Amino acid sequence: MRNTWLIIRREYVERVRTRSFLVLTLLLPAIMTALMALPAKLASMGEKAQHLVIVASNQQFAEAVRHELLAAPPGDEDEDADSSEKAATPKPGDQYIIDVDTNATESERTVLLDKINSLAIDGYLWLSNDAISSGKVSWYGREAAGFREKTWLSDAVHRVTLQQQFSEKGLPPAQVEQILTPVKVETIRIEHGREAKGSGTARILEIVVMVMLIYMAVLFYGISVMRSVLEEKNSRIMEVLLSSASSTELMAGKLLGVGAVGLTQILAWIIMAGLFALPTLAAQPNLSDLQVSPWVLVAFAIFFLLGYLLYSTMYATIGAITTTEQEGQQVQFLIVIPLVLSVFMLTPVFRAPDSAAVVWMSLIPFFAPILMYARIVVQTPPLWQIVLSILVLIATEAGLLIFCARIYRIGVLIYGKRATLPEILKWLKYAKA
Amino acid sequence: MQSPVITSLEVAPKPEIPATVELSHIQKSYGDFVAVSDLSLRIRAGGIYGLLGPNGAGKTSTIRMIIGIIMPDSGQVSVFGEPLSPAHRDQFGYLPEERGLYRKMKVLDQLVLLGGLKGLTTAEATKKAQHWCERFELSAWMGKKIEELSKGMQQKVQFIGAILHDPKLIIMDEPFAGLDPANAVGLKDVLLELAKSGKTILLSTHRMDQVERLCQSICLINHGRAVLEGDLTEVKARYGRTNVQIKYEGDAAFLQEKGLVRSFNDYGNYVEVRLVPGADAQDLLRLASSHARLNKFEVMEPSLEEIFIDVVGKSNA
Repeated sequence: MRNTWLIIRREYVERVRTRSFLVLTLLLPAIMTALMALPAKLASMGEKAQHLVIVASNQQFAEAVRHELLAAPPGDEDEDADSSEKAATPKPGDQYIIDVDTNATESERTVLLDKINSLAIDGYLWLSNDAISSGKVSWYGREAAGFREKTWLSDAVHRVTLQQQFSEKGLPPAQVEQILTPVKVETIRIEHGREAKGSGTARILEIVVMVMLIYMAVLFYGISVMRSVLEEKNSRIMEVLLSSASSTELMAGKLLGVGAVGLTQILAWIIMAGLFALPTLAAQPNLSDLQVSPWVLVAFAIFFLLGYLLYSTMYATIGAITTTEQEGQQVQFLIVIPLVLSVFMLTPVFRAPDSAAVVWMSLIPFFAPILMYARIVVQTPPLWQIVLSILVLIATEAGLLIFCARIYRIGVLIYGKRATLPEILKWLKYAKA
Repeated sequence: MQSPVITSLEVAPKPEIPATVELSHIQKSYGDFVAVSDLSLRIRAGGIYGLLGPNGAGKTSTIRMIIGIIMPDSGQVSVFGEPLSPAHRDQFGYLPEERGLYRKMKVLDQLVLLGGLKGLTTAEATKKAQHWCERFELSAWMGKKIEELSKGMQQKVQFIGAILHDPKLIIMDEPFAGLDPANAVGLKDVLLELAKSGKTILLSTHRMDQVERLCQSICLINHGRAVLEGDLTEVKARYGRTNVQIKYEGDAAFLQEKGLVRSFNDYGNYVEVRLVPGADAQDLLRLASSHARLNKFEVMEPSLEEIFIDVVGKSNA
């Protein structure tokens, strides 16, 4: 135990002291913030310049469409949106300038095309009487309209057309409004027999954060463990260490030491996120109702730690089997496969969290960290399944640790070439006792 | 009919120095390759014991089995009179042939870690590390990273790491390799001091001159077997005085006399001749003086190197 502690301390202190640790800890959040903030900034810059023209022979019709467009700008149709969120969005007039043009002639068309070319306007909506009665109107723009914009435009035109038709049939405007009010479906999740707050978006976010963290931790620190095992083998210090401590003590110390470094870094990131990012995120309408239950947090901690340890142990094993970093890099894709498969399996978890395939997959230790956690977030599975997956994870880690420690110890005998599978099996036999 | 008295006398243990290491019939193979085969040896407490052998003879495997890094397939390893167990690790100091330290770690931190793994507290390890660094003129380098040190300095650090915790059994695999003559002398002095203070030192090398000067007992292994074991003086006496060193000018034809000369080695300044077993050195003297002008003619006991080459040659045959 004392030896393990000494190794943990060495791995931790030597790593945290390095400049690269400090740089990564500070720089990554900065890069992430920039990556997240930049697209939004760019998008909002683009939105401000939107200048459209509605061309229609019927001025009343054009004005009605303009009114509809300004009342519900694109991007506001989110199914989770409720009335309180609408207030938070900026006034549509800020994003769109919409002019009405009643001169629906071919010569006007040329003028408008010139305007588009000279960047005076961004596009025009052609609503000649012919076009409306044919049921197909066209948008001419510098950029083809995206899905949201297309829906926005056609919804507005459709609504106004309906309004007009209803009015022609003699219905009072109030009744028309009533008929045209869409029905909204609200989704409510039941957790522990009670209605739970937390939208689908929030749940996806809870899972994505886990996947991202495991992925990053495994990629940064798994490789770090592998490198450090290789370094000890190549620098031959392993032989000195083995004369002082057992290989299992050394391996456990290394994994926990490097693991602690990773956790320190992630903790630092979480604290930074809490200080800077959360206030901004909380202001986002879609996430304002984000509430994570303490249960999910506990599950997160357990499965993150176990997953992180499992994958680091796999990296350590690769370090023990291979002889150079290049070789290690070649083999390490094997470790990423179960991670990627876990991510693919997330869709079935969402669709059918109790299906046999999902249940079994989530009990396999290599998938459990992400899948069992995802199941807990989506729909709490039976307790025995959670406990079983935790036990299987711990047992797999212990077994892998002993396996890896043996190979590490025997690796002292063989330098210079990568071990083949039969050789590894043979080594294990030598390493008994 | 034997009387019970005599029986008890026969069983009574002979008074002898207790063994620090005792290997009995140890065997180790890797797949088809036999690294150590039926090796038995006994290293007495105190003094320097030389483990000799050509490359690949099984020296390192033997050492690793003594320390417990690898386990013998069969046979028994005892240290300090008890079967080897992990509890003995703290009593060993090991300088492996393949040197290795954490390159990015500072000298003092590294020594404190190595001492700590051997059971020293940080304070003890620091104090001892400072003492030894002073002794080896490394004090100015204690705060430097290992990678900033020269090869020779790294080796001294590694040596300090091996003896820092005051182990009872010190195992040195080629300790002088890579050291300049001044540092080699310094290291030799420390080893002799440690041996005098009662430590047992196992010195594995193929540098015969060092073994000849330092060791009291030796074991020569080849192909994983002990081919020669015992006190150095005893081993040499067994080989007799069959060597002649000759400095001459003129005709060297006498060296071709098959009746007297078994082999010779021309070192340039002088020739070392091995006589045919049973041949008289005086006959060679007469023959040589009749052909050439002799400046020196000395009958000597064989060097360990010759014994080594002879024994290894025989056991390979």
